[in-house]
Amino acid sequence: MPSSLERRPWTFYVLATLMALFVLFLYGPMISVLILSFQGTSASLSFPLRDPSLIWFDELFNPTRVGDVPGAFSRSLPLAVIVMVLTVLISVTAGFGFRRRFGGAGALFYMAISSLIIPGLVLSIGILVTAQFLGISASWYGTALGAHLTWTLPFGLLIMFAILGRLSPSYEEAAFDLGASRWQSIKDVVVPIVFPGMIAVALFGFTLSYDEFPRSWLTVGTKNTLPLEIWTMTTNVTSPALYALGTTTTVISFLVIALALGSIILIQRRRSK
Amino acid sequence: MQALNSESGEIRLVNLTKKFGETVAVKDINLTIPHGSYCCLLGPSGCGKTTILRMIAGHETPSSGEIFIGENMVVGLPPVQRGTAMMFQSYALFPHLSIRDNVAFYLKMRGVAKEERRRQADEMLERVQLAHLRDRMPAQLSGGQQQRVALARSLITNPRVLLLDEPLSALDEFLRLQMRGELKALQNELGITFVHVTHTQPEAIALADMVVVMDNGRIDQAASAREIFNTPATPYVARFMGAQNVMTGTVQGMSNGVAFLKGAQGVSFEIAGKRDLKAGDTVSFAVRRDRIATHRRAKASGPQPVNAIVGRIDAIEYQGNFVKVSIDVPGLDSFVANVPDAEYFVEPIKPGDEVTASWNREQAHVLDEVDTGSSDPYAAS
Repeated sequence: MPSSLERRPWTFYVLATLMALFVLFLYGPMISVLILSFQGTSASLSFPLRDPSLIWFDELFNPTRVGDVPGAFSRSLPLAVIVMVLTVLISVTAGFGFRRRFGGAGALFYMAISSLIIPGLVLSIGILVTAQFLGISASWYGTALGAHLTWTLPFGLLIMFAILGRLSPSYEEAAFDLGASRWQSIKDVVVPIVFPGMIAVALFGFTLSYDEFPRSWLTVGTKNTLPLEIWTMTTNVTSPALYALGTTTTVISFLVIALALGSIILIQRRRSK
Repeated sequence: MQALNSESGEIRLVNLTKKFGETVAVKDINLTIPHGSYCCLLGPSGCGKTTILRMIAGHETPSSGEIFIGENMVVGLPPVQRGTAMMFQSYALFPHLSIRDNVAFYLKMRGVAKEERRRQADEMLERVQLAHLRDRMPAQLSGGQQQRVALARSLITNPRVLLLDEPLSALDEFLRLQMRGELKALQNELGITFVHVTHTQPEAIALADMVVVMDNGRIDQAASAREIFNTPATPYVARFMGAQNVMTGTVQGMSNGVAFLKGAQGVSFEIAGKRDLKAGDTVSFAVRRDRIATHRRAKASGPQPVNAIVGRIDAIEYQGNFVKVSIDVPGLDSFVANVPDAEYFVEPIKPGDEVTASWNREQAHVLDEVDTGSSDPYAAS
């Protein structure tokens, strides 16, 4: 093809510029925080970076001036893990349940999904009020756990429905044909086939819970989770420890995602080898 | 290959009916498929052939009626206890398992130790000439190879009946012909019953000892391939097999075993009959497309000849060893003459030409049912 025909249309440049701006907007602030978390003893909250050091990371874990970061972390991490496990468990079993159409399946599905559109803060207030009415005190492992599940389960359900909906019933029939029991066909055929999807659900469960602010706001009780702690710090901490905290939590999020994607890639590679 | 299973693989369907809600997919069917035969269930999509297969396999429960395999009533039994194995249309190979583990799956479910089941799986893969690919994953195999794996995976269960759901439909034309031959050879070797669902007539004709032509949940005809092709029982079968012209007339009289008929357009037919037809009967009959001779119509036509139909050429299709001549005849849905190519090119005729199509009275085959001008067999039922 002559090169004159290969010239890109003007729309390409417009869209490329938009994309570049988007990426800049997405990662620019994160990178700024990352850089400034290595600020030196000058304790300046803005550029330029002077005498790079790790003192603010040190400060994080020796809370003399900042809030209770290790404590908040020790609540956020187990909460995210519990939410993740429950989300996978409930989404997968619900997915199986919904494979067979039953009366009211549609209504039930929309009821489960509708919590996506209820504002988180409103939900948070509602849960607190209801818990008080029932005489339950708010805690991260109780009310907050429930609040987080209202957020992660719709995502998990949507993913599992999409995956199980595309799964041909002939796999289970083939397993049955080859003498597998119902349990064996799930354990040895269906679960291994949908495993990448289960990892995706786990990933959503973990990250959504780990980052959740509005639904945690009133439901965690007296002890903060990490996003709440960070929010509190923004109002009263005026040191780059804030940035160090941002960097640390982002790194943890990325590690979780890398772990999940890595395991999916590993499984895919095993299958295509 | 030794015969895998000594128990009888005769299949008997007794008053078998299957309803899905209001729809009746299979209507009160009776059929016996002899042990060790290659049986093709043939019909357009939605005719109930796959439902029958799935009921024999145990993946669908009959609404009423009984299914016997050998001596046993098998309704309610799981597939393994029936002695059946099914090969699925898309093969349904487990994508997360290697070829070897796919084949060994049945043994794994039965708790056979790893070493032993791998040995047996390798042996089975040897039989289908895929031993060298045993560590591959299904996605890495070609369509034909996947089909062989599916076969091996089914055969390791040592079935007396192998059920095949449109096994060749996912393959390209070349592979289809090759695998068709392999299936037939395999069935000969194993000596077990094969039940093969297809909507392709040549496939059924080429493979089957017994062809079961179905329409709308009913069996129209169950007979040998030659019988089905040559002497179809009903207008539907004649049309569906695609090699016959169907015509209808009223019997005027009989003499010396020859029936004289009058067609709708005043055409006269003669049928050298073995049947006792009575004057006044309305009868449909079929004439094979390749038994029809065509001639350009002479200008001054004398008295209307017998067993000759006049029409205008609609289309000409060159098929290599013959030429398909479609003739537009008033009062008939379709009329086709397959003219040998040597004969055709002596005096080629073109679309638009008026022709006379004629046949010998011995070539007419009387059908069991009067043609009701039934619809296109490929139309969704």
